[in-house]
Amino acid sequence: MNIDIKHIAKLSRLRIEDDKIEKFEKDMQSIVNMVEQLPDIDDTLTLDVNNAMKLREDVEVTDKYTREQLMKNAPQVQAGCLVVPKIVD
Amino acid sequence: MELYEKSAFELSEMLKAKECSAAEITESVLGRIGKTEASVEAYVTVCEESAREQAKKVDEMIAEGKELHPLAGIPIGIKDNISTKGILTTCSSKMLYNYVPPFNATVMNKVNSAEMVVTGKLNMDEFAMGSSTETSYFKKTKNPHDLTRIPGGSSGGSAAAVASGEAIVALGSDTGGSIRQPSAYCGVVGLKPTYGSVSRFGLVAFASSLDQIGPIGRTVKDVAMVQSLICGHDKMDATSKDIAYPDYAANLKNDVKGLKIGIPDEYFGEGIDAEVKDAVMETVKLLEKNGAEVRKISLPSTAYALNSYYILSSAEASSNLARFDGVRYGYRTENYDSLIDMYEKTRSEGFGDEVKRRIMLGTFVLSSGFYDAYYKKAKLMQKKISAEFSEAFADVDVIATPTVPSGAFKIGENMGDPLKMYATDICTVTINIAGLPAISVPCGKTANGMPIGMQLIGGHFREQTLLDAANAYESIVGGFGNIPKIV
Repeated sequence: MNIDIKHIAKLSRLRIEDDKIEKFEKDMQSIVNMVEQLPDIDDTLTLDVNNAMKLREDVEVTDKYTREQLMKNAPQVQAGCLVVPKIVD
Repeated sequence: MELYEKSAFELSEMLKAKECSAAEITESVLGRIGKTEASVEAYVTVCEESAREQAKKVDEMIAEGKELHPLAGIPIGIKDNISTKGILTTCSSKMLYNYVPPFNATVMNKVNSAEMVVTGKLNMDEFAMGSSTETSYFKKTKNPHDLTRIPGGSSGGSAAAVASGEAIVALGSDTGGSIRQPSAYCGVVGLKPTYGSVSRFGLVAFASSLDQIGPIGRTVKDVAMVQSLICGHDKMDATSKDIAYPDYAANLKNDVKGLKIGIPDEYFGEGIDAEVKDAVMETVKLLEKNGAEVRKISLPSTAYALNSYYILSSAEASSNLARFDGVRYGYRTENYDSLIDMYEKTRSEGFGDEVKRRIMLGTFVLSSGFYDAYYKKAKLMQKKISAEFSEAFADVDVIATPTVPSGAFKIGENMGDPLKMYATDICTVTINIAGLPAISVPCGKTANGMPIGMQLIGGHFREQTLLDAANAYESIVGGFGNIPKIV
């Protein structure tokens, strides 16, 4: 299977510099060639009932974090909001 | 013998008998860090001040006659992908170079409530993707047994810190071998617990269905003590299993009589160094001489484990790492002209090449038209591998294999060739695919003096069986040796 690095990078929201494309293409191709060697197995996927996830009850969240604590790591904050580039004209 | 050379269990007994103080233990480990860290480079962040304060607090509690947890006052290092409130948590990535979590991982709440002393945050492969700790954005950790060699990965900082005496015990995380593989390379003991036995809440996700936090120590008993502390159900992790967990350390046995050990041919074939095979088989013979029964078993799908692992783990990683977009935390690119431009530049500048390869592989195998050919096939293979293990565990108690195919390689040796790097995980990935527990213990050295590891694999939630077998082996050989001289 040949893979289109530029397309996959775009889907991944990544950009690969031009001088690195060739190396990435070669490495990714050899990785894909390795992983695609899998046999066809005549079976179906089933949910493991012994390992079902236990979801929490729909109850009030009691963790007490302030807006300031939660936004302390944000690259850009203004008036208590996260700043991002304009997305609507 | 310096305090930093002692085990957590010995130090715990000394504290109880008032033969030393927590402050003395912490000073000894910090002193060791001061002496060897420039060569080993195991830490991303050393928490000297808070470690001293915590040790002082423990000494005060002892003076007041308070009942303390056996691990109180014991220095522990934490892999840098485990969230520590108020302490930098970088995942060794530029993407999180400045990230300070506002909350603790569940394991950190446990470490703190046991009054352990956190020495700092340990280096790792970026986002735990790698097998040598060379993909770290910050530094290259060295193997304490030979500073020109890699410590393994991705928990390379954790294993190197414990091996060099820069920590008494450490926490790592294991998605495809990341606790066991560096433990083997550095000559220490590392346990990858059963999936669901240790809460993943606060562990920065790589592949959520495979990730598991676990302990690294210089003795099996130390590993059992830390595992007893960190295991248990947690409502913050929906995959955490709500069962009764034993106190592994208190129950620890010292006997392999009647233990049925399975030897799978598939783990002793091509690609495994002869000296590694010999060392593991000699260890198995030693256990047999001490009363264990050895049986040949077969795990025929092992040949497909690596393929399935890289499909499943990368698929999950591509989704998990979508959150790093430069909006809410971490790195953001400087110049951009639109939202998409900001996303793409932030991610391209913030992630290293190995992380990019995994995100792209995951995106590819999940992309339209390819799902059935890759992801679904890998999931079916996962089912098959798990079934083969279940069948094997009907006949044996533990399965013994090499942990890694060879001794630690030279820094830089495999960096140009991702497939060669991936191949070092060949003996460990199956265990994550099947969600099983496994422990790596030192079992001899290669001709050039590098540690060799034996992996013991157990059935789901059978950590006690693994720890008992490993503990018996440790007493038979009279311990795993001293901390290496670091030159």
